[in-house]
Amino acid sequence: MEKDSELLPGTLDLLILKVLARETMHGYGIALRLKTISEDVLQVGESSLYPALQRLLLNGWVKAEWGASENNRRARYYTITAAGRKQLGVEREEFQRMVGAIQKVLETA
Amino acid sequence: MMKLLRRLQYFLHRRRQEADLAEEMRFHQAMVEQELERSGITAQEASAASRRAMGAITQMREESRGVWIWPWAESVWQDLAYAARNVRRQPGFAFVAIATLACAIGLNTSLATVFNAVALRPWPVRDPARMVKVYSFEKDPPKGFDSLGGFSLAEFRYLAEHAKSVAGLFAMRGEGGVRLEQAKVRGEYVSARYFRVLGAGMEKGRGFLEAEDQVESPEPVVVLDYRTWQNRLGGVSDIVGRRVLVDDVPFTVVGVTSQDFGGTAPERTDLWLPMASIALLSPENSWALDFLRSPKECCVDLAGRLAPGATREQARAELSVLSADFRRQFHDRSDGVVLTGTALLKQGGRKAGQVYAVFGLMFAGVLLVLLLACANVGNLLLARAAARRREVGVRLSLGAGRARIVRQFLTESLAMAGAAGAVGVLVAYALPGPLFRSAVGEVSFGLRPGATVLAYSLGLAVLASVAFGLAPALHATRGGFSDALKRRESAARARIPLRSLLLAVQVAVSVVLLVGAGLLVRGIQHARSMDPGFAVRGIDSVSFDFPVSAYQSTRLRTFYDSLTRGLDGSPEAGPYGLSAVEPLGHTYSLTSFRRPGEDARQDRMVLSNSVSAGYFEVLRIPVLAGRNFQLTDAGRNVVIVNQAFSDRFFGGENPVGKGLISGGPQEIVGMVRNAHTSGLDAVEPALYTPISFGIPPRVIVRHTPANVAALAALAKNLDARVEVRATPLEENLDSWLSESRVGATIAGLLGVLALILASIGISGVFAFAVAQRTQEIGVRIALGARASHVIGVVVGSAARALLAGLAVGLLLALWEGRVIGKYLFGVSPLDLTTYAAVLITLAAAGLAATYLPARRAIRLDPIRALHYE
Repeated sequence: MEKDSELLPGTLDLLILKVLARETMHGYGIALRLKTISEDVLQVGESSLYPALQRLLLNGWVKAEWGASENNRRARYYTITAAGRKQLGVEREEFQRMVGAIQKVLETA
Repeated sequence: MMKLLRRLQYFLHRRRQEADLAEEMRFHQAMVEQELERSGITAQEASAASRRAMGAITQMREESRGVWIWPWAESVWQDLAYAARNVRRQPGFAFVAIATLACAIGLNTSLATVFNAVALRPWPVRDPARMVKVYSFEKDPPKGFDSLGGFSLAEFRYLAEHAKSVAGLFAMRGEGGVRLEQAKVRGEYVSARYFRVLGAGMEKGRGFLEAEDQVESPEPVVVLDYRTWQNRLGGVSDIVGRRVLVDDVPFTVVGVTSQDFGGTAPERTDLWLPMASIALLSPENSWALDFLRSPKECCVDLAGRLAPGATREQARAELSVLSADFRRQFHDRSDGVVLTGTALLKQGGRKAGQVYAVFGLMFAGVLLVLLLACANVGNLLLARAAARRREVGVRLSLGAGRARIVRQFLTESLAMAGAAGAVGVLVAYALPGPLFRSAVGEVSFGLRPGATVLAYSLGLAVLASVAFGLAPALHATRGGFSDALKRRESAARARIPLRSLLLAVQVAVSVVLLVGAGLLVRGIQHARSMDPGFAVRGIDSVSFDFPVSAYQSTRLRTFYDSLTRGLDGSPEAGPYGLSAVEPLGHTYSLTSFRRPGEDARQDRMVLSNSVSAGYFEVLRIPVLAGRNFQLTDAGRNVVIVNQAFSDRFFGGENPVGKGLISGGPQEIVGMVRNAHTSGLDAVEPALYTPISFGIPPRVIVRHTPANVAALAALAKNLDARVEVRATPLEENLDSWLSESRVGATIAGLLGVLALILASIGISGVFAFAVAQRTQEIGVRIALGARASHVIGVVVGSAARALLAGLAVGLLLALWEGRVIGKYLFGVSPLDLTTYAAVLITLAAAGLAATYLPARRAIRLDPIRALHYE
């Protein structure tokens, strides 16, 4: 079992939303995309990915639909909703603030 | 909110959701394997690697599910635990609140139980929805009669033979006074199909056969009720085939009904006889033959089962046509028929309207009590909520959402309402049965709250919890938390003082309930002291029970002739009167009449009675004009009218000497003063004819032991089998009052309950006012304010609410007085005594309720008060 890189709490939701903001994807695709973009730094295991997706569904930030995958299997595709886009903005700001704050502490302390 | 909906949706489709997740997992795994294989690992190793990942997958599935269910369930649990903790911390408050609500919900559920049993629940038979009761409809029924009536037996046979839309029409006729062996029981004559169409179960034997219910050849057979068999006939196992004496005629028992069948009448039926057997029980009575054959002789009640596929409307249309066809043969008119369900209370018609009106009033009463209870508990909660503003403020500042805290408050009220509802349902199980039995007697229907009633009380409890819980919850969370932390009063005083509003509602509701109760009680008092216009006290009405089968009209005539001769000749018997209708006996006789020169279509119905001269003397009804009857009047066409008759039909002129037509030309020989002999409302026009012995008359005598003994001795002497029964007229008067008395008792109980609830509420409000203004009062006392001034401050804080509640309550009470006006026996709906008593009672209760809080305020130690926080 691969070890997940430790993420700041709440960041996984933000990352998923960001990935989905570009295009509709299935779960495995999301994991793959996070891995490639972060150049293998972020390896998201299914034990945190799928609960996160359920959380997003519950909050109404994404919706899910069944479709055919690239190799013609049935896969569940996630799409970001309008509420999800709004949330993405909010979380992104929050994240920037947080990173900025951490940065400040690291530079000055 | 949307989140809750999505959660609910997930919960409803959780099977599919989990299947989705599982499939998603398999897809993910397959992709992982594919990826691994592509990177050069063998298929075997790849699948092993993915199997290793299985554990993680199970865990993932648990967690994914948890996102939907767990936090929510946990938070509900938290709320409940929190609510329980709060309740435990203030057991007194919880007790008062739950007891208050339980009373109100219990009353509501009890009333709903009775209403359901009487007005909604159909007969307890197979497929009751297809059963209908059939009534003949009459457009303009004479006064005192219902627009829905029965049919003649001949018409029933015609309808039963021709109707296609009703399968198995059957007829019923209740007979209150049948004697089984020697005991008086309630019997019912039914047509042969009765048990078969109803699908009533038989404990033993069978129902009736068509052959046993033939007018030409009636059979002496009887079906017994289960309890009659058990209680009166010892429950002997070989009962079927035995002979029993019904009105002294031997009848053969053919069946015993099963235990759960109580009959189709409101009272319990003890035995059933075939319709045609009426002829066996009164073989020489010409009425019995008329009843069995004549197309106009009234009446039997009809019911039947709708034929497969037929609707109620189709059946109504068909039966209306058939009824009109039948009556046309006998030059009689039909206004059609009416079909209703088989609930015990006759639906439609004027009587039913009255019963519904009474139920409506009672529902209004108990709902008002519930409103009062809600206002009460709401006020207590509000006071607590204000006290908890700091707690709420802290929680808000720690990041709790407002919705979350409101939900927390509502959970608390729901928990309390739930507890109260449970107690209330217990009340409804225990209360109506015994209450009904003591008021009405043995009834054929069960009085247990069914599913409908339970749903009703559940709904009430939930509504109540929202009603009294929402306002305090919103109130407590209003405004920012810093505001709440700073000062306790600021927000509480902000807008409409909700507490004052609730207080005003409480006062108004208690005024309405108390005035209603007061008026009804006064009405009863008034009726008891009212002059009925004739002598009631110390007068007996004596009737004779004959062995029906042995008597015919000529023999009856001989009996009464000998009896009156005996009475005339015996000095100890004293004066007596004869009357076909028992005074205040709940029976009426009507006759039609017209003035000379009018044609038959102008006939109107008036009350009638056939009496002897002694009737007016013993009852002390004075003859105002003309003369009383004389012995020589027997068989002559002379009548006496009452004042109401002369006022209505002769414009108040002296009617003596005038003629009228009632079954032939009659001459009015006298006019008597109005007397309430047939009811306590306004006296109706009445026509008296000389005694004719057509129906066995009552003998009206003054009640002295010698009188009654002499009468009984005379009767027994004439025929030892005759049973003599003396009824004091006061008992009859009492039974007239009993309906209103039950009403007054219920209204009185509601009123007292309302008073108690309102007192608790008022007391709570003032106690809170004192607690809230402790510092201010302390300062005032320290500065030398007198006790009266301090009390003024405390009471003044709610004075406006009290006055407003009083004003609204009085206005509503005025309206209420008009609604219940007809149950007041002539007491004015504006009765000053009642209003004064209500105001004094309320003032006293209010004073009592403010006493404790006020005392606390006066005795406040200024030093401690100033430190109070």
